Amino acid sequence: MLLGYSPKARKNREWLALLALKLVAYVALIILALMIFYIVFHGFKAINFDFLTKFPSDFMRKGGILPAILGTLYLAAGSMVVSLPLGFGAAIYLTDYAKPGPLVSIIRLGVANLAAVPSVVFGLFGLALFVVGFGFGRSLLSGCLTLGLLTLPTVTAAAEEALRQTPQSFREAALALGANRWQAIRQVVLPAALPGMLTGAILALGRAAGETAPIILTAAAAFSPALPDSLFNEVMSLPTHIFNMATNGAFIEQTRVRQFGTALVLMALVLGLSLVAIVIRAKLIRRRKW
Amino acid sequence: MVKPPAISARSVSFYYGEFQALRDINLEIAKDEITALIGPSGCGKSTFLKLLNRMNDFVPGARLSGEIIIGGVNVYGPQADPVEIRRKVGMVFQKPNPFPKSIYDNICYGPRLVGVKKKSALDEVVEKALKAAALWDDVKDKLNKSAFELSGGQQQRVCIARALALEPDILLMDEPTSALDPIATAKVEEWIKQSKLSIVIVTHNMQQAARISHGTAFFYMGELIEFAPTLTLFTSPKESRTENYITGRFG
Repeated sequence: MLLGYSPKARKNREWLALLALKLVAYVALIILALMIFYIVFHGFKAINFDFLTKFPSDFMRKGGILPAILGTLYLAAGSMVVSLPLGFGAAIYLTDYAKPGPLVSIIRLGVANLAAVPSVVFGLFGLALFVVGFGFGRSLLSGCLTLGLLTLPTVTAAAEEALRQTPQSFREAALALGANRWQAIRQVVLPAALPGMLTGAILALGRAAGETAPIILTAAAAFSPALPDSLFNEVMSLPTHIFNMATNGAFIEQTRVRQFGTALVLMALVLGLSLVAIVIRAKLIRRRKW
Repeated sequence: MVKPPAISARSVSFYYGEFQALRDINLEIAKDEITALIGPSGCGKSTFLKLLNRMNDFVPGARLSGEIIIGGVNVYGPQADPVEIRRKVGMVFQKPNPFPKSIYDNICYGPRLVGVKKKSALDEVVEKALKAAALWDDVKDKLNKSAFELSGGQQQRVCIARALALEPDILLMDEPTSALDPIATAKVEEWIKQSKLSIVIVTHNMQQAARISHGTAFFYMGELIEFAPTLTLFTSPKESRTENYITGRFG
């Protein structure tokens, strides 16, 4: 027997290491669960039919958050109108057309760096370019454009990944049958890559719905008496509504439950979107056989 | 009377950037016959095959000198249209690569590209192509099923049928059985032997070349070493390098 070797000590060490790893993994889960529980616990009292379907009134102490819900949906959807064509287009160019070289590397680097830019910087950029520069004012349009740029790197990176995972052999087969490159991409590559591209888009949609700083700077109204009927209207949104009630409202304490209620609605919205993305991905993996 | 060749390569040299992959290849490939290209890995046989339907066009830094004449036209001439060439010169790849679509839509892909839209015409094309690829009886009841649900050998025959649907003059096959089991291989070989097409097949497998081809070309280090009727090449090769390769001394 080896000197000082004890099977028991080895087993104990292994058990300890495993325990430590398990704990670390569970901590992440526990924090998420606590956060959800905390928001649901404090917020569910605010949720009722009126809360979801009425305008706020009496300095946010009464009524509901309908304009904020709709505003967030408009902003999120509008941002996709901006970022999907740009992001998908850029991804197709980068994977299928661009010749590898310094230019492509720089574009890729640019996209990756864009993803790391803090959202408030996007907000300031949107404020300078869209709100002031183009004269769109603080509006739904400015907000959508700003959020569109903000989500562009996510959309592009996910689309690129999905396109790259589509086998080269699909492209070869189509070309060998007399397709030109665009036909090969449109008829064979895109249909195969689309679920993956959409998964990325939905995650970006969730991100756009939850952003606060860029909206405050480019689009958000603290209160609007009517739903927006034009792209040039200011809009309310869920995250900025929470922010306003919690920091500079007239009755911060008395709206506490409504703050949590709004947070709960926002969280449900974002989790719902992520869930859709997960379902799509699961379906895709089950169907995919290449 | 001698038939005009299906393909003539004249002084073809090909470069990937600085690397010369093919050196001065001169080769006449007979019409309606099966021609095998053999040689060790990296000898240029697959590169040569892909030149014939301009599939190397997409390789960055690729450059060619010389002429390849198919149907009286230099496929690298200024008038040549690569898309038209690929419609006349079909290709089957090393790994079965059906599209993630139904069997029916796989076969229709080429004909639809050239504008065939009528259901009855497409139905006819599908049946004819699948019969030609000896797959009709296996799949006639599940044409709308995904091609991925078929076995590897059946998938490869879907790919053959897909190429045949365009009624090509020439079919190029790049090691078409290397990803298949022996039974599937036998079926594909059987199909090749009975087809009346001009076929150029790249193969790693010398027995396969001997079994199915009329003529065999031996490539080595980017050069065409010897091209002869298959029986002659395998029984009395002129070149010592050919003999060394076919007797298994290298490669």
